[in-house]
Amino acid sequence: MKHSFNVLIIGGGVVGNAIARELSRFRLSTAVVEKEPDVCMETSCRNSGVLHSGINYKAGTLRAKTAVRGNSMMDRLCAELKVKIKRIGKLTTALDEGELPGVKRLMDQGVANGVPGLEVLNSSAMQNIQPGIEGIAAVWSPTSAIISPYGLTIALAENAHANGVEYFLRSEVTSISKSEDGIFTVVASGGKVFTADIVINSAGLSSGGISAMAGVKQGNQGENLKIWPCRGEYYVLDKRLDGTLKTLIYPVPGAKDAGLGIHLTPTVDGNILIGPSADYISEETPEDYKVTAPVLEELRREGLRLLPNMKMSDFIRNFAGNRPKRTSPAEGGNGDFVIEEAKGLPGFINLVGIESPGLTASPAIAEMVRDIVAKHLELEEKENFIAERPGFAGHFCELPKEEQERLIKENPEYGEIVCRCEKITKKEIRDAIENPLGARSLVSIKYRARNGMGRCQGGFCTPRIVRILRDEYGFKPDDYIFREAGSNLFTGNVREVD
Amino acid sequence: MTEKEFICVVCPNGCSIEVKYEEGDPPKLISSEGARCPRGKSWARQEIENPMRTFSSSVIVTGGEFLEASVRLTKPISLSKVFDVMKEIKKIKLQAPLKIGDVVLTNPAGTETEVIVTRNVALK
Amino acid sequence: MILEKHDLVIIGGGPAGLAAAVAAKEAGCDDIVIIERDRILGGILNQCIHDGFGLHAFKEALSGPEYADRFIKKVQALDIAVMEKTIVLDLSGDKILHTSREGEMKEIEAKAVVLAMGCRERTRGALSIPGHRPSGVYTAGAVQNLVNLENIMPGRRVVILGSGDIGLIMARRMTLEGAKVEAVFEVLPYSSGLQRNIRQCLDDYGIPLHLATTVIDINGPKGRIEGVTVAKVDEKRRPIKGTERYVPCDTLLLSVGLIPENELTREAGVTIDDVTQGASVDDCCMTKTPGIFACGNVLHVHDLVDFVSMEAARAGKNAALYAAGKLGDATEGITVKAGDGVRYVVPQRISHGENVSLAFRVTSPARDKLIEVRDGARLLASRKETRLHPAEMVWVDMGKIDLKEVESLEVRVK
Repeated sequence: MKHSFNVLIIGGGVVGNAIARELSRFRLSTAVVEKEPDVCMETSCRNSGVLHSGINYKAGTLRAKTAVRGNSMMDRLCAELKVKIKRIGKLTTALDEGELPGVKRLMDQGVANGVPGLEVLNSSAMQNIQPGIEGIAAVWSPTSAIISPYGLTIALAENAHANGVEYFLRSEVTSISKSEDGIFTVVASGGKVFTADIVINSAGLSSGGISAMAGVKQGNQGENLKIWPCRGEYYVLDKRLDGTLKTLIYPVPGAKDAGLGIHLTPTVDGNILIGPSADYISEETPEDYKVTAPVLEELRREGLRLLPNMKMSDFIRNFAGNRPKRTSPAEGGNGDFVIEEAKGLPGFINLVGIESPGLTASPAIAEMVRDIVAKHLELEEKENFIAERPGFAGHFCELPKEEQERLIKENPEYGEIVCRCEKITKKEIRDAIENPLGARSLVSIKYRARNGMGRCQGGFCTPRIVRILRDEYGFKPDDYIFREAGSNLFTGNVREVD
Repeated sequence: MTEKEFICVVCPNGCSIEVKYEEGDPPKLISSEGARCPRGKSWARQEIENPMRTFSSSVIVTGGEFLEASVRLTKPISLSKVFDVMKEIKKIKLQAPLKIGDVVLTNPAGTETEVIVTRNVALK
Repeated sequence: MILEKHDLVIIGGGPAGLAAAVAAKEAGCDDIVIIERDRILGGILNQCIHDGFGLHAFKEALSGPEYADRFIKKVQALDIAVMEKTIVLDLSGDKILHTSREGEMKEIEAKAVVLAMGCRERTRGALSIPGHRPSGVYTAGAVQNLVNLENIMPGRRVVILGSGDIGLIMARRMTLEGAKVEAVFEVLPYSSGLQRNIRQCLDDYGIPLHLATTVIDINGPKGRIEGVTVAKVDEKRRPIKGTERYVPCDTLLLSVGLIPENELTREAGVTIDDVTQGASVDDCCMTKTPGIFACGNVLHVHDLVDFVSMEAARAGKNAALYAAGKLGDATEGITVKAGDGVRYVVPQRISHGENVSLAFRVTSPARDKLIEVRDGARLLASRKETRLHPAEMVWVDMGKIDLKEVESLEVRVK
């Protein structure tokens, strides 16, 4: 099957979807090609959900510029897309005198990067924000925020789709070539052949591979484009502890740290995350999301130390995510983002090594990419661009009672609770199942409706969702998948049905 | 020779019975100690030489509020016959409505038991 | 918002809720509502198709649905109101409930509430088993639901972690349906299931039980589980190096413990006992919050449903008396302590002393012991037990306890 587009975006993570949404403002034909059965299945759904202020990045780098710009765009973007955002600020703390130079460095860096509202706080000012916090000084960055990373990514995708972007899921790119007259041909699994004027590589963990596939072996300044996956493991803590953290609390990072250190992050839904760790893993298996015994043990120890009234039963779940780093294990630290039109391959826009702060930077990266696209194609704004997503931010159970009653009258299915722990209603589950991208794995439903994320981890809701999919959508045992292709839930019926 | 110990279930006393037996098809009891009554002694022999079991299973139902009706045996059968009885159960297809106690199979695989429905299944 | 008032609201229509409702009605309460979140009554019994229920209550070996049916028929005959497919979203200490069902939310004010929400299973996440997170990892109860109610087979080659009864029962069920159950692994040095089940679910089918062994890694890089690594553990439950072994499978069943479902209990500010994870109650099954009662698995996890029904009848009857103003004020009462060898005792307090029944669990398996109930140095009751096991709840009927004569109670194993 042959498909022809102006712009082809490879990779359905937060960056790819931010680009798709931005480009969907214009009279262009755009498509997103994603190898998994849904968008947001790799790095974009496996991180702390933090919108960084921009203090952590060297002045003049793309990381710094896009983080600051992206952060400033988030309030409007979240309002339009109905995504919950909480501006809780961040304290980057120095525990002792030895860490004070780090505080100064971050403050100076932040100011140079144009980060608004920064202050250095002393211990008593820190106590005002977070009673009981350890440390002698901290950089206070009020623009730091928390968000649901999968909530944002899916909202971007569904809004882009509503504005005409086509999505090709389960489509792994196998070859990229360019003809003499400047048209790209991209082949993907399932016999799909795409032609495009512009190809955008936003493939995250696979971005190095996609770049090599297109014949672009190094960056325009000679940068390394090989991706070194670096795993971070997390624990999710029970909502019982909601309110313990009033703000984000990070340690002052060391220059050679591969990540920002193990810390506690409140989530926008009331959980707390502990992590992430940082361990390089084999480049052969960038999508190895194993959680490991020694790291889990370390996270448990840290958790019990940092949160005094914690219990073992508060650790409800763990998961891992992999950072697509351009720096090798020997180098450590972080390389800057590569965001550029490949010198030797006009029309091929390469985004390589978008690790943290990729989530924060995503709308700013989309702007940069748009400007590169504008050099090749005329960007005529659509009159009927749908900027706002329908519905409400957050969940039904968070709405005021009068609003709930009104909605139940309109739609009785808002009264039936399917996920008991998170109080998710049947209507929200139905909306998740009927999502415009057609993704119907259990995890796809979970990322949209948030069922299964509570204490019982799907014990109550899963049989109900199995029934709904069978009785109302005709699912047979083989149709149920958990997450990725091959993750079938069942092997068949107990007794065969005719 | 093998030794085993189990708790007798014939009466609430729950005597701990130690048995010695020869493995085989069927196994042969050599000795048993600890049973405080003759019923327990013969139960121990039966447990070794020809264990008797009940079990539960399910049967597919059409037109009902449930997809399956749970069933069970009314009398214990020899353990050696369990899979033969399962074969018979697997062949059954029932139509709603069903009531607890409805007989689904009589003397399956030559055993003395009945297989009865244990769940009410109303029409859909 | 619809506003209603009722004398007695029972949260949960499983065996505890049903027995409580029947007893409440028979004790004279005419305004009872059972709130049940499923579309049918019966609770967990609906999926427990194996027999062994009712040996004490009815002197018959019934399956779960049959046992439930006995009580459902009584509830229907007594014309007790039921709200199905309804969830209680909130419960306050003032006995005000917010409920939600399709098309309607209600606020209900009750004179008395019986908590009968049952329990849920401990999850894989809570166990922190390292490795991948593929499909094919289930809790045993979830598989029981799928296999017994939804005609779905989750897998064909099964490893079971945990020797609790649910895992053992499912080992047999899966085997009879053609799956291969490779083994059951239990982290403790003794099994937590009934001996009868080990024999009839594992020994009968040649399924090995490995004690002091646990799963230390889940392997499933391609979406579905492909196998687990198991290892023997020491007394501190730490894996012993060198004992690791890989077991291929396509399904991992976790039967690793039940947790009383006390979200509402906590929200209502009811005092919880840290050991049972259920409410702290007196001999009337009343919690420390006046008018809120608890019974069944939500109070403490039971092993025989017959005792759930007995306990729930006590709760229902007393809740009915309370709603009618006839229960009599609870005194501070005397505390009941778990002494040597005893993990917990329910009830945790005696405040009326009319017809006291103590339920407890021992800390480890033991033989030929004496159970003693003491008031300080004074021995009030004792009983010989040839066999004690943590998996088998023990009951001691104390009859009447004169609160003026007794200062405290302690149950211990000698």
